[in-house]
Amino acid sequence: MSTDFNKRREESAGLMEYSAENLVPFGPIHPSLKEPEYFKIILEGERIVDVIPRIGYVHRGLEKAAEMRPWVQNMYMFERTCGICSFVHSLCYGQAVEGLTIFQVPKRAEYIRLIICEMERIHSHLLWVGLMGHWAGFDTLFMWVWQDREVVLDLVEAISGNRVHKSMNAFCGVRRDMPEGMEKHIVERMKFMTDRARYYRDIIDTEETMLERTQKVGAHVTQDTVEKLCAVGPMARYVGLRQDVRLNNPYAAYGEVPFEIVTRNEGDVQALLRLRLDEIIASANMISYAVENLPDGPIKVKIPPVIPAGEHSSRCEAPRGEIFYYVKSTGGRTPDRVKSRQPTLANLPLALEILKGQTLADVPVVLTAIDPCFGCMDRMSFLDTEENKQWTWSGEQLRQYGINYYFPDRKKKA
Amino acid sequence: MSENILEQIGKIANETNSKVVTLRKGETVIEVEKDNLRTFITHLVQDLKVRNLTTITGLDLGQEIGIMYHFSYERETIHVRTKVAKTSAAPSIVKIIPGAILYEMEVHDMFGTGFEGNPWNDKKLLLPDNWPSDLPPPLLKSSKPAEIRKRLHLEAEPKK
Amino acid sequence: MLEQLAKWARTRSPWVFHINASSCNGCDIELVASLTPRYDIERFGAVLVPSPRHADVLIVTGTVNAQTKEPLKRVYSQLPEPKHVIAIGACAATGGVFKGCYNVGQGIQDVIPVDMFIPGCPPRPEAIMYGVLKLLGEVE
Repeated sequence: MSTDFNKRREESAGLMEYSAENLVPFGPIHPSLKEPEYFKIILEGERIVDVIPRIGYVHRGLEKAAEMRPWVQNMYMFERTCGICSFVHSLCYGQAVEGLTIFQVPKRAEYIRLIICEMERIHSHLLWVGLMGHWAGFDTLFMWVWQDREVVLDLVEAISGNRVHKSMNAFCGVRRDMPEGMEKHIVERMKFMTDRARYYRDIIDTEETMLERTQKVGAHVTQDTVEKLCAVGPMARYVGLRQDVRLNNPYAAYGEVPFEIVTRNEGDVQALLRLRLDEIIASANMISYAVENLPDGPIKVKIPPVIPAGEHSSRCEAPRGEIFYYVKSTGGRTPDRVKSRQPTLANLPLALEILKGQTLADVPVVLTAIDPCFGCMDRMSFLDTEENKQWTWSGEQLRQYGINYYFPDRKKKA
Repeated sequence: MSENILEQIGKIANETNSKVVTLRKGETVIEVEKDNLRTFITHLVQDLKVRNLTTITGLDLGQEIGIMYHFSYERETIHVRTKVAKTSAAPSIVKIIPGAILYEMEVHDMFGTGFEGNPWNDKKLLLPDNWPSDLPPPLLKSSKPAEIRKRLHLEAEPKK
Repeated sequence: MLEQLAKWARTRSPWVFHINASSCNGCDIELVASLTPRYDIERFGAVLVPSPRHADVLIVTGTVNAQTKEPLKRVYSQLPEPKHVIAIGACAATGGVFKGCYNVGQGIQDVIPVDMFIPGCPPRPEAIMYGVLKLLGEVE
C-alpha cells in the first residue's frame, strides 16, 4: 500500500502536473448539502493527495472601490484589508503614490514608520506563535504568548491611539509624533520582549507537545520548489533563501538602521517557529536603535490632492511576506488603477504543495504555519477516494482530530 | 549587478521586437507583443534567473486589456506589459512559472481574459459562486458596483 | 421551575459560536484577545464552542458578502432557540469603510435579526465584554 502511495505522491507532487479533474463524484450528493469551503482536500486513507483552494470569502471589491475614492481616503481603506498587518498596507500604498509626486518624506517620519512597522511585526509573530500553540493542542502557550503581546499593543496604543488599525500614515509623513519622554520606556519594554522571545524559543525546542507536532513536519520543501512557486517572506527564508525586502530593496529608514536577516535551513514547521521568534528579537533591536537615534524635524509634508499622471509600484515586508502595490494615475483626484497583492496569496501554492503527502492530522498545523488569515481555517471539505467518503469539518473539529491522533491518551475537551 | 541585468534585458527585448521604457531608477517597463510573450518570459526566467514573479495585474485600456507581469530582481522592479483584445485569451505562463497559476485566475475573474494552458482556467478564485454569467467582469470601467450588488442580492430588502 | 433553571444557566454561562463573515480579522483578534488572561471573558462564564448546535449566542464579525450570505443564514438556523445575535464592529453594522464596494452588503441585519451591535473599528476587548454582558442583563 505504501509503495503505491509513494508512487502516486511522486506523480502528484510534480509541479507541472496540476490536473483539472480531481473531484470524482461519489454516490448521491444532495445539492442542498453542498457547502462552499476554503479547501477541498482529497485523501487516500490518511494521506493527502491533492488540495484545491477556493478563496473569495473575504473578497470585497477594494480595487474597484479605490478607483472611485480620493487618493487619501484609499489609504485608510486599504489599511483595513487585513487587521494584523494594517500599517504596512497603508505604508506600501502611500509609498507607491508618493513616488509619483516630487515630494520627499522627512527623515523623522521614516524612522517613526520603521518603529511602527517593527512593532506590528512583533505583535503579528506573537499572535501566530500563540495560534500555533492552540492548533497543536498546547493552549497554555497560547494564553501566555497573547498576554505578552499586550505589552506591544500598549506601546502601539500610546504612540498612535489604537491597537489594531493605527491610521498613522499620511502621504509623505505620519499623522502623529512620538510622545515626549517615551524612549527609555520603549527600550526597557523591548528588552522584556527579547527575554520572553528567548524563553519561548526554549519551549518550542524542548517541549514534547510542540516537538511532536512540528519537528520534521512538512519537510520535503526545497529551495527550487520555493523559487518556482514564487513564495515570499518567512516561507522563503525558512529554506535558506536570503529574500527580504528590507535587505534587497530597503524602504523607509531600513537603509540606515542596522538590520540582520534571519534565515533557517531545516525547511520544516519547527524552523518557521524558530525563525519568527528570532525575528521578534531582531525587531526589538531595531526598535531600540531607532528610538534612541530618532532624528529631529517635521513629521509631514503637505501634498496637493491631485496626483500627477504616471505609474509606480512599491513593495514592503509585512510580517507574512512581501506586499506589493501598483498604482496608476491619469492626473486626477482618484486613482485610475490600484493593484494590491497580499503575501498569503503568494504563499498559497507553496502551502498546497507542502500539504501533499501529509497526514490529515497535520493539516491544521501546516496550514497555520504559512500564517494565513483566520477565516481560511473556518471550513474544509474532505474527499477520501479509498473509502468513498465525503465530509465537511469546521476548523475546531479538525483541530480536535489532530490532537486525538497525536496524543490519544489525553482526555477530549468538553 | 543591477545595471548588468538591464543591459541583458535590453538584448532580449531587441531579439523579440519589444520596447523598453525606463520609468525611473529601479523601475522598467517592457512592452511585449502577445505572441512573443512566452519566449520573452522564458529567457527572463531561465537565462537571466529573474525568477520571482510578484503578481499579474490587469488593466482596462479601453479597446484592449493590458496584462502586466511584475518581476523583482534585487533593487530592480521589471514590469512586462502585453495587450490582448477584450474578447480573446492570453497565453498562460504556468509551464514556465508554476507560481503564476493563482494570479492568472485572478485576472480571469476580474477582467474576463482567459489564459490558454492554465489548468484551472474554468474555476473561480475570488468571485462568488452565484456570479451571474451574463454580468460583465467587475474591474472593467463599464461595470458599476451598485448594479453588481443588486444582481448578487446584496442590497437591503425593503422593510415590510 | 426547570425553565427558570435553564434561563439561569444560559445567562450565567453563555455558550458562544463565532462566525467570520468576510471580516479583515481586526474584530476577530480583539474577540480572541478577550479570552486571554488580561481581559478574560471566561470568568463571566462565556465559552467558545466548536459547533453552532451547542451555542446560545452567535457572534458575527465582518460585513456579509455574496459568498458568506448563505453560510451565515445556515449557521443561524442551526442555533437552537432561544438564540441571540451580536454584531461586532462597524462592518457588521453598516458595511463600515467598505460601504459601496461591489461585493459587500450593508450590514448583517439585512440577513439575520441582530440583538446587539458593538461599534468600533475594531472595538476594544473591554467594549466587547461590556456588550456581551449587557445583552445577558437584558435577557435576565
